[in-house]
Amino acid sequence: MSLAVLDRPQGARSPWTRWSTGPEAAQAHLLGTVLFAAAAVLLLTRSIPVADGGLVLAGLAAASAATGAAWAARRARSAAGSVAVPAAQLGAVALLHAGTGSATTLLLLVGPLWALATQPDRRGLLVGVVGSAAVAAVPALTGSSPAGDLPGALLLGTLVVAAGSAAVHGTSRRLAAQARHIGQLEREQAALLAQVQSRADELDTASRILAARAQTMTSVIDAVTEQSIIGTDRDGTIRVWNPGAEKMLGVPRPEVVRTRSILDFHLPEELTAAAADRGCGTGLEALVHAAREHGSDVRDWTYVAADGSHRTVSVAITPRSDDRGTHAGWNFVGTDMTEARATERMKDQFVSLISHELRTPLSSILGYLELVMDDEDQPLTDEQRQYLSTVERNAQRLLRLVGDLLFTAQVESGRFTLQPADVDLAGVVRAAEETARVAAAAAGVQIVVDVPDDGLVVAGDAVRLGQACDNLVSNAVKFTPAGGRIDLVLRRGWRTPGGEVVDHDAPGAAPVALLSVADTGMGIPAGEQGQMFTRFFRTSNAQRNAVPGVGLGLTITKAITTAHGGTLDLESTEGVGTTFTMALPVGG
Amino acid sequence: MDPALHSPGGRPAGPAPGAIRVLVADDEDDIRALVCLAVRKAGGQVVVAAPDGSTALSAAQAELPDLAVLDVSMPGATGLEVCAALRATPATAGIRILLLSAGASPDEVARGLAAGADAYLPKPFTVAGLVQQVRALAVREPVA
Repeated sequence: MSLAVLDRPQGARSPWTRWSTGPEAAQAHLLGTVLFAAAAVLLLTRSIPVADGGLVLAGLAAASAATGAAWAARRARSAAGSVAVPAAQLGAVALLHAGTGSATTLLLLVGPLWALATQPDRRGLLVGVVGSAAVAAVPALTGSSPAGDLPGALLLGTLVVAAGSAAVHGTSRRLAAQARHIGQLEREQAALLAQVQSRADELDTASRILAARAQTMTSVIDAVTEQSIIGTDRDGTIRVWNPGAEKMLGVPRPEVVRTRSILDFHLPEELTAAAADRGCGTGLEALVHAAREHGSDVRDWTYVAADGSHRTVSVAITPRSDDRGTHAGWNFVGTDMTEARATERMKDQFVSLISHELRTPLSSILGYLELVMDDEDQPLTDEQRQYLSTVERNAQRLLRLVGDLLFTAQVESGRFTLQPADVDLAGVVRAAEETARVAAAAAGVQIVVDVPDDGLVVAGDAVRLGQACDNLVSNAVKFTPAGGRIDLVLRRGWRTPGGEVVDHDAPGAAPVALLSVADTGMGIPAGEQGQMFTRFFRTSNAQRNAVPGVGLGLTITKAITTAHGGTLDLESTEGVGTTFTMALPVGG
Repeated sequence: MDPALHSPGGRPAGPAPGAIRVLVADDEDDIRALVCLAVRKAGGQVVVAAPDGSTALSAAQAELPDLAVLDVSMPGATGLEVCAALRATPATAGIRILLLSAGASPDEVARGLAAGADAYLPKPFTVAGLVQQVRALAVREPVA
């Protein structure tokens, strides 16, 4: 196989071009050149007798020219002369044969015949046979040998040359075909090798990416030192144990991975109680039951550390799958809440203490005031009664403040509970109007109540809803100047799935009770409306006008509304008035 | 007898014949005196005014009052503990019990009633409200 064939695409060059530049042609040219050179030497040294010097010189000249043309064509990678050159060489042999009459010169036929026999098609073979016959016949035709030898020389020469050339030509074609086949196989092998190399490169890249990801994941998990990350098999055997777990539980990774169960770090009695609560099996099932049911679970568990100490840990439990999506185990990500829970307990105790310590003296103040003011045996003067009324009013104000602070603390700690019952909001609104009536009258503000005659019942805590409504009406009275008006309106509405409250039924909408308190007061600056439900926030108008209050009423009202699954919105224009609208879900 | 038994203000309130006999217990002197006044206004007779839970319990066992008005948060023994102890002893199980507490949450009220109290009055209470409660309990039949 020639390098030229391998290096160039198939079809880019003709078979003739390939031949003329292939090794067979080179060998034929070389042989022809050597033989002609040897013949020239033999002729010059008279080793071969010369009968006609002119023919010999013409033959040598022709041979030289043909050989030179053959090498020139090869250097130029040209197909030109692939037949013409050997044919010219045959002509040169004919001249030499005629000029010497020596059979030795017939040996010079080998070169051009080889060249012609190894041509890709039969054209070269035909030229070779005919040409050889002509060369053999030349002496007889020119009279340099007896004419009677002509038929025999022609027949014998033709047969020998034909047989030899055919054999060489067939062999050459088979070799060429095999060479092409081998070339094809080598190309396919090279392509396959390239594919294999490409696949190997891809595999190597994928392996490196996976290794990098695993390294990243490991480094991230190892970087977590304040949370425990524990991964287990399905049976609870620990497989992953990060530095956070080591720190929290005081056990190094090598001592737990593959050898210990997550259950070794839990309180058995806590698991038993959890199993009883959830109606599931004990042990690991008690731990993962909720995560199995809901996909994840976060709650407090008690971890038992190596030194026997108990840690209150908020543990997020999730199922873990392998690369085929099959459930492979559980993940436990824990945050130590021991100190936080202790702080919460202290806060509870503080709230309880405040509750007792502030309410108790207020009980004395209000109780004894009541005794004095209601003593029929020793009636007070009007002036005394006025003074003591001021004391009582401020004591009641202090009591409300204590109640609001305690309530806010309860909301913050999440221990704000409702006593649900059916509550007629129409009654709540009327009661709020009644409570505010005296203060409104004193402020010169008119309160107008518009509620359904047949009432409007929601599921809720009557006391808390009354407190929320009282807060809204009380605020309206405080922020509405004399001559103003407050409208307390209760009506039915609907909340769309998108959260919008509308006054007509709509597809998928849920019925709600809409309680609005609209005043013609000083309004709330637009830039402050977003902070209205923030604890202790007071508007600039409230401060400028010295409106009493500490900024807890709306926070509490909002918390109560939210706890009932409702919403509290406000619309306000400074100098025009404010409307608060409470939307509470109506059961059924 | 505890000096708190004597009503403040120097206005003795003599019990009516057959008046209900009442034990009052509160660690706050002012509140204890106020409760005593309210009991007398209701027509009751304060037989013991105790400043702590353990004194209240022993006095109740000795005096066997008709009604015990107990503060929940007291040293010695809480009102809830005194209440439970009284209910657990046959001799005192029939004493009517009114609990007073600064804790007014529904949970606290429920705990008080679960301990065996007949009524629960959150602080701050009005004197009129306390008088009404004492009168209501005075006419109620004993538990046992």
